[in-house]
Amino acid sequence: MASSWRLVPGQALLHRGWDDAFVLYNDLSGDTHLLSDGAMAMLIALRDGDVTPDELAAPEVAELLATLRQLDLIEPC
Amino acid sequence: MTTVGSLTRTQLGERLAGSGIHLRTGHFTTLLRSPIGSVADGIHLLYNDYPLREGFADFHLDLVRPVTLRRWVRPQVTLLYDGRSMFKPLPLDQAFPMFEWGLNWCVSSRANRYLIVHAAVVEKGGRAAILPAPPGSGKSTLCAALVGRGGWRLLSDELTLLRLDEGVLYPLPRPISLKNASIAVIRDYVPGSVMSRAVTDTVKGTVAHVRAPADSVARASETALPAWVVFPRFEAGSSVTAEPMPPVETFMQLAQNCFNYSLLGAEGFTALADLVERSQGYRFRYGVLDEALAFFDSLP
Repeated sequence: MASSWRLVPGQALLHRGWDDAFVLYNDLSGDTHLLSDGAMAMLIALRDGDVTPDELAAPEVAELLATLRQLDLIEPC
Repeated sequence: MTTVGSLTRTQLGERLAGSGIHLRTGHFTTLLRSPIGSVADGIHLLYNDYPLREGFADFHLDLVRPVTLRRWVRPQVTLLYDGRSMFKPLPLDQAFPMFEWGLNWCVSSRANRYLIVHAAVVEKGGRAAILPAPPGSGKSTLCAALVGRGGWRLLSDELTLLRLDEGVLYPLPRPISLKNASIAVIRDYVPGSVMSRAVTDTVKGTVAHVRAPADSVARASETALPAWVVFPRFEAGSSVTAEPMPPVETFMQLAQNCFNYSLLGAEGFTALADLVERSQGYRFRYGVLDEALAFFDSLP
């Protein structure tokens, strides 16, 4: 698993959240995803450069990162 | 203002068979032409209160009998959109339902200034309840009861139009489409309702259309604000239950009931999210119309 990740370029993270759950519009695929608050927080942290390589390498986020990659929201860099 | 009702049945038939009529429904004008008697009968019966306009038309529809050898043994009707056949011909007896379905198709595939939800929508006090549902869920029956006896205004039985730049709902009051057992249910429940002849053996079973209330037609330019999204489900004999839905679930289910959500992209997402923020969603089950109407009266 890569230890450095970024948003897929062109992803605007258009989203709306209610009650700790989020809907997000994927600019590139046109899909709408239902995300947990943890997933949304990870995307925003990646966008803002607010997450360290050590945090991204932690085993507990590996599955989340793999899921976000499958959704074409993030990519290794 | 000239209305369909200002023409006699004979005059209407002659106009439809000749230059056509510019029929105004909500914010759309349709130039309709047809020499078929049952089309004139349906328009005469159900569109009595609708304005007739001149000039520009959003949609150009012709309902004609195709010239084929089959026309003598099994007469058919074809719907032409802008002069082109877009659909398979149907038995001639289904000409009027075909007009209704064709006009629904025109709006749902062309009116992309709106986010269009496959849903009934009714209004009271300026606030609207949206009733999305797949076929067979009792949406139209409930809609007919709400506007026939419940004091709600009909915005639409089939197409909820959310204007993208304003976030308000635009009415498209047209006849309510009933199917199969619902026809007798509404005939009994709303005794004064004006209903077209039931047409059998369509792809939807037996269908009949109920005339929209005159007040709803007269107020077709009055928009409404979304307030509730109610996903109905009819279950014979069951009592009313209304379970509040989380906003994310309301959003996702509404998106699945939209005709053009994917086409509109980010604009559609934002419009739908704004609607959900203004509305309370419910998963609603009913088995008795009186109880269902009482629930709608109790909406906060």
